[in-house]
Amino acid sequence: MHELSIAQSIADAAREHASQNGGRRVVRIGVRVGEISGVSVDALQFCFEMTVKNTDLDGAALDPEPVPVRYRCAACGQEFHPVEFLADCPACGATGASMVAGDELGMSFLELE
Amino acid sequence: MAERVEVRENVLKENDRIAGELRLALAGRGTLCLNLISSPGAGKTSILEGTLEALRRTPLRAAVLTGDIQTERDADRLKRYGFPAFQITTGGTCHLDASMVQRAMARLPAGDLDILFVENVGNLVCPASYDLGEDAKVVVLSVAEGDDKPLKYPGIFRRARLMMLHKIDLLPHTRFDRDAAIADARRVNPGIEVVETSCVAEPGLGAWTRWIEQRLSEKRQAGRPARD
Repeated sequence: MHELSIAQSIADAAREHASQNGGRRVVRIGVRVGEISGVSVDALQFCFEMTVKNTDLDGAALDPEPVPVRYRCAACGQEFHPVEFLADCPACGATGASMVAGDELGMSFLELE
Repeated sequence: MAERVEVRENVLKENDRIAGELRLALAGRGTLCLNLISSPGAGKTSILEGTLEALRRTPLRAAVLTGDIQTERDADRLKRYGFPAFQITTGGTCHLDASMVQRAMARLPAGDLDILFVENVGNLVCPASYDLGEDAKVVVLSVAEGDDKPLKYPGIFRRARLMMLHKIDLLPHTRFDRDAAIADARRVNPGIEVVETSCVAEPGLGAWTRWIEQRLSEKRQAGRPARD
């Protein structure tokens, strides 16, 4: 349960960008939450609302985008969502795909008013 | 009218910034830093006790920062080996972050330090997200926990350089499938290295201490100024 500290980091980053953009009000914050980032989207949403209540960010919406794990086949370039992390390519059958998405935890956008 | 601004950065960029400072400071001292992560009770503190006991017979200088939600018990256990050991009591937080390590580093004696062990809070989820400036994350999976952990907690197995299959002497008494555990860890992280260890029986901690020696010599090679 480290979503509270993650939510606080998101709020800090949003404030920093808002002040760099002339101190405008933040209405929406987009974040990408990888499937294996270890962060629960529901808990993050709850903690975010809690951490911004009665602050300058009160009312800003958190818009988390869950990012599924995606592999890319080293042989044919096919991208796929692996079943239980198996690297067998569904297109060509080769093994040795590598993970190209799913472990990120990143800011993606801010909507400012 | 709201305007959308693209922001491409890590959510934990402040933690990453401090971790970067730590990494630089550790590189300056030539210190290898290992971040040990496991479930509660997997054996991190016992592994460190055995490791420090082995290091006493070498000229290497080590130190330990050990994280727990409550109590100073682990630091008390680890101080007995003659190396500096300090507790980081998180007071409820389920992981260590880089700022906690940076504050604790200030308590370590100045001077040469070959190896810094950071024992994270017992938890396979949250510690995986935080860079502490370490050279490697080490995940300890004890046989008693079951072989399903790599696929249940892929984040940490993805980010660890080494998996210690620990309490391996218990293998005959459990249904733990060693080959499946290793294969599953490699599904998530094809490059993960594996050592098998026990604090109480054969094969002991030899594979682990040899792994540390290799990382240390690797670090020293990398730190040596290039010759013209």
